[in-house]
Amino acid sequence: MELVVTRNFGRPESWTLASYREAGGYEALERVLKEMTPEDVSDLIKDSNLTGRGGAFFPTGLKWEFVRKDPKTPRYVVVNADESEPGTYVNRLSLELDPHMTIEGMIIAAYASNAERGYFYIRGEYGLSHERVKAALREAYEAGYLGQGICGRDDFNLEVEFRRGAGAYIVGEETALFNSLEGKRGNPRFKPPFPTNFGVWGLPTAINNVETLAAAPAIVMNGAEWFKDLGIGDAAGTKMYCLSGNVVNPVCVELPLGVTAREVIMDHGGGVPEGRTFKGFKPGGASSAPLTPAEIDASLEPKSMAELGTIMGTGGVVVFDDTACMVDAAYRDALFFEDESCGFCIPCREGTPNLVQICERIMHGQGTMDDLDLLEELGASMMASFCGLGHFAHQPVRGAASRFRDEFEAHIRDHYCAAGTCFTANGNGRAG
Amino acid sequence: MAIHHTELETPPGREPLPESERPKLETLREQLQPLKDLPGSSIEALYAAQELFSYVPPEAITLIAEELRIPESQVFGVVTFYTMFSLEPQPPYVLRVCRDLSCHLAGAPKLIGALEKELGVPRGHTSPDGRFTVEVVSCLGLCDKQPALLVNLDQHGPVMPDDVPDLLGDLRNGAG
Ligand SMILES: Cc1cc2nc3c(=O)[nH]c(=O)nc-3n(C[C@H](O)[C@H](O)[C@H](O)COP(=O)(O)O)c2cc1C
Ligand code: SF4
Ligand code: FES
Repeated sequence: MELVVTRNFGRPESWTLASYREAGGYEALERVLKEMTPEDVSDLIKDSNLTGRGGAFFPTGLKWEFVRKDPKTPRYVVVNADESEPGTYVNRLSLELDPHMTIEGMIIAAYASNAERGYFYIRGEYGLSHERVKAALREAYEAGYLGQGICGRDDFNLEVEFRRGAGAYIVGEETALFNSLEGKRGNPRFKPPFPTNFGVWGLPTAINNVETLAAAPAIVMNGAEWFKDLGIGDAAGTKMYCLSGNVVNPVCVELPLGVTAREVIMDHGGGVPEGRTFKGFKPGGASSAPLTPAEIDASLEPKSMAELGTIMGTGGVVVFDDTACMVDAAYRDALFFEDESCGFCIPCREGTPNLVQICERIMHGQGTMDDLDLLEELGASMMASFCGLGHFAHQPVRGAASRFRDEFEAHIRDHYCAAGTCFTANGNGRAG
Repeated sequence: MAIHHTELETPPGREPLPESERPKLETLREQLQPLKDLPGSSIEALYAAQELFSYVPPEAITLIAEELRIPESQVFGVVTFYTMFSLEPQPPYVLRVCRDLSCHLAGAPKLIGALEKELGVPRGHTSPDGRFTVEVVSCLGLCDKQPALLVNLDQHGPVMPDDVPDLLGDLRNGAG
């Protein structure tokens, strides 16, 4: 398998400009500036079928074209490195091990979008990433890849500001991130207008995930067809899948987009620890509903996941064995969303604690079968939430309650927890 | 230049900055100067304050609002929005332990229990020696190191309950 975004991870001092250049870094940018118009670049990226790795899988080339076609200036490019989806650490690895690849992608995005200003926004907890990206930005400025008159082209300038967050999952939502960049509370804004026309400071903004941008230089060097062919079936390119939970090897692997969950979990993750039974998995972070062992041959790409009533999400695959209680697992996700709801709109502010309470009732032997219906109603009302957090927050709980119905019913009817973590004096410990 | 706002009353429920800490407000004011040219940099301004004082005292909020020319209410809104800012003095070591799914499956509850036991205080409280506090937080993006924690911004994991005495011992001895 040809690697795209992780290909330099094993190099010595892979995060430095010297190492990146030795591996052919910034050649794509030079080619773009010598041989291509902004339109050529967005067309190439469109042809490659590169889609947003932040989880929404929107066509990246189209986004850059929209920004370029908006007459308002200055236009912006923003790197979304707020990665905070539970079970996901792919962007962290790119930021720590190969920041220049994302920066090169960002500059290419700016050229294609006709943008002259940018922000590199990293979540507050990623201390090592801050250091590495700040140093890499400095190197890129010194080498003339950033600033005024990039690579001798006096008509192409890009000033990039480094920014960090300070602990808030919701700021990863693009419009919330703009508010954060503007020095405000990180509440989301209403869409439309969309970021391509009304982004940071109300100006046209191309905002992309780290992994999306990191793919751009290789597409420039190898062509749209090459990238498309890396994926399986209709899916284009590769994806960094990362494993955690009850899995032998909690590792990150770059694989063709659309590989089966079996390949990721069994071949690369080594399956569940010896003596345990595989019980299920979440395909992409907290927002995704869990799937059962019967679904392990499903392709980890957006379309197949949607058909199964879940989402591809971030590629953060969380594995369960028989020591995991699925009610407890749903409860953990509910706690996460309760904590991270920004509180701006009622369906989510009130709905997320409700999800927590329903799980708690079931885990403490006070649940009724009506609670399972209530979950469905609550989920339907949360679809009226203002942003994606509220739209997704109920999915893992409802998904667990329908896919692992027997387990929920056993808790409710028989006060029985097969994993043995509920109904015991100290159980798993209710860790806040 | 005098910082006249510090003469103002402290908001209800909040302690004024101790007299001995007041000179640092002048340092903060200097550090805020370059941020005036970077619109929207209230987070960076608050980090500067927190690094100086270990928390964001009321006087710093007033000062940031004044220097960056934004409403005080907006600065206060930002402080309270983000979990990494504190309105109360913080000990030198803040241990942020992940409680989310992957770390939970890998034993986070036992790790949190071991930390509370070893420090002799529940989460959210400062240890009797005044040097540590344990916060239970959302996913740190360190799920490959499950169960994971941050000591300030330093990554640790996997940390098992048995590792806790050594981890804290190293920090107590200044080796962390
Ligand atoms: C609640 C919520 C949180 C999000 N968090 C992130 C994030 O941490 N990183 C990210 O790249 N996208 C995140 N997104 C998606 C962004 O809004 C946006 O779609 C993405 O940054 C666009 O870049 P892409 O097209 O390259 O994926 C989040 C969306 C929602 C609704
Ligand atoms: S859905 Fe939740 S996170 Fe989104 S705006 Fe409403 S309260 Fe905030
Ligand atoms: S779930 Fe604990 S660091 Fe991600």
